[in-house]
Amino acid sequence: MDETVAEYIRRTVLKIPRDEIKTMLQKWGFLSEAQLETVNFHQIKENISQDVVHLCEENSADIKQAAVLDIIYNHIYPNKRIWSVYQMNKRGEETEVFDLTDFKKKFKSRLRSALKNVTINFREYEDNAIWIRIAWGTPYTKPNQYKTSYVVYHSQTPYVFISASVLKSNLPLLCQALVVASNYHDIREMELRSHSLNSLKDIVFKRYSQNFQSYYPRPLQERNVAPETADLRIIQENKSEKERIQRLNREAFGDGPQPKLEFAQYKLETMFKSDPKMDVLDKKEPFRCLVKFSSPHLLESLKSLAPAGMADAPLSPLLTCIPQKARNYFKIREKKGLLPESFVSP
Amino acid sequence: IITAWIFERVVLFLAGVFAHLELLEARAYEAAVKQEETEQQEEKLARLRARVQQLRLQRDELRAKLDLQEKGVRKGWLQTSGSELWCAPALRGGKLTKRGVCFCISTAYEGTYLDSYHLDLLTKPEVQIYRHSLPTFIPLQQIAKKYLQTDIRRFLTVLSDHLNAYVGRRYQADQLQVPVAAIEGTLQRNSLCNLLVFNYNVSSKSKAFPFHARLLYGDLCCSLPTEVVVSCTRKRTMWGSVWAEMAAAHTDLFRHVALHKAFSSFSSVGESLAGAL
Repeated sequence: MDETVAEYIRRTVLKIPRDEIKTMLQKWGFLSEAQLETVNFHQIKENISQDVVHLCEENSADIKQAAVLDIIYNHIYPNKRIWSVYQMNKRGEETEVFDLTDFKKKFKSRLRSALKNVTINFREYEDNAIWIRIAWGTPYTKPNQYKTSYVVYHSQTPYVFISASVLKSNLPLLCQALVVASNYHDIREMELRSHSLNSLKDIVFKRYSQNFQSYYPRPLQERNVAPETADLRIIQENKSEKERIQRLNREAFGDGPQPKLEFAQYKLETMFKSDPKMDVLDKKEPFRCLVKFSSPHLLESLKSLAPAGMADAPLSPLLTCIPQKARNYFKIREKKGLLPESFVSP
Repeated sequence: IITAWIFERVVLFLAGVFAHLELLEARAYEAAVKQEETEQQEEKLARLRARVQQLRLQRDELRAKLDLQEKGVRKGWLQTSGSELWCAPALRGGKLTKRGVCFCISTAYEGTYLDSYHLDLLTKPEVQIYRHSLPTFIPLQQIAKKYLQTDIRRFLTVLSDHLNAYVGRRYQADQLQVPVAAIEGTLQRNSLCNLLVFNYNVSSKSKAFPFHARLLYGDLCCSLPTEVVVSCTRKRTMWGSVWAEMAAAHTDLFRHVALHKAFSSFSSVGESLAGAL
């Protein structure tokens, strides 16, 4: 077995939390149950990884199998990477039938025709997600297994989730291969990024709970409001105001859990509006400013601002439009038209 | 002495007779109770049958009414008065909102309610989609481009057909993936569930016939495939003609019957064909 492969497997195993190593190796399926039984998973990780590498040597693992282990690790811990969402456009109107084998073949051939030194691995999951792992090399060097890009694509959707590696120069090539393989004709980056892949999927696939008013009763689990065990001696003075805030909040954010984003960034290119008498920044240039909101869970924290009394309800539409516009990076220019929608540039 | 002996015998005889009579009486009683029970059951059954008939009549009446409504000219649906556009909200559960209408499209397959999808439309200045909860692989933009401006009801019908067909196909594909499924290995599918590729075995008389099937659902508004190709995964053996007949029968079956139902009828097809040997 190649030394680089051995080292790669060793390092991948070291990344896995000790309690999860056995299950992940079982999922991998490369080592038999009998072999796994011979490993003591209670020793320190260094030793576990050495044992695993020895077993892999017995089975003569090559880079392809090692790559599969890496995909499994990243599928279970996708939040360790930052994912960006890209949207593809189709010129024609026909809905093509998506054939997986066809897709894989086209993707590989397109990528390999431009760059021979790449390792490409595919893995499909039950939710129709296709995971693609690409290790990049150069025309003169072998692929670097530690500089990988990941692509997650759900068939017949225009959205692709890419976690690019440090080598941003390969991104155009990757995008081109995706467009060709999935029968679209161009691709652009949406201004939507996060660590939580599932939340990004929730936003673009509209799986988060939006507040729709319709006659059909919502399913029972959404209406699970706990009955208020009010102590009659306590009187809420601001009850109607609190209810108003709750109502506006529900309209803006819906009832269910919010998708998990870590930032919202607003790049302002607006004119500074001050009292003309104060003579501040008289120049007719836009005032450049960057406002960034960070949070472990941005949308939940925005949702709790008004009920906590820290902001007025309703919140600015610039904040509440994030899931619906599917973006968290905005450029704000001067208002040109009357509608506030034209405020935010696409 | 003789008369006493005769008297004793007579008494014993009568006792036996009485016991026997009691037994018969008890039995007769039980039989009568059972008979009454059965009569009651039959009565109940007859009542329920009559009720079913009644409900069926009611359902047919309502269906006829709905048909008439849909066929007849409905002026109240969409009217323009000046620059405004208002909609009668009763159709398809649309609810008027501040700026338009919100619809809920429920889907069902074989009597099971599946997902509901929402569509929020704006009506001013022209009808457009504000937001929705439809899956991204449903060709919403295409359908909207064709019908949204001109015929909203048609737009909703076509969209509803797409959604119902999609959940139907998804339901069938999901049935194939339960642990006790009839397929071998993994099912290759896609988001719209309009291309399914899988391997399966039909075993009869201790022989296993391996097959490979490729189902293409060309019509997105339909939950049955438009093209089916069934082939053999290993080289044909002596059972060549039988195998070909089975493949043809399966192809036909997949074209016309829902997947999970097709699989449950396989054993009978296999048996009858293999029995022809």
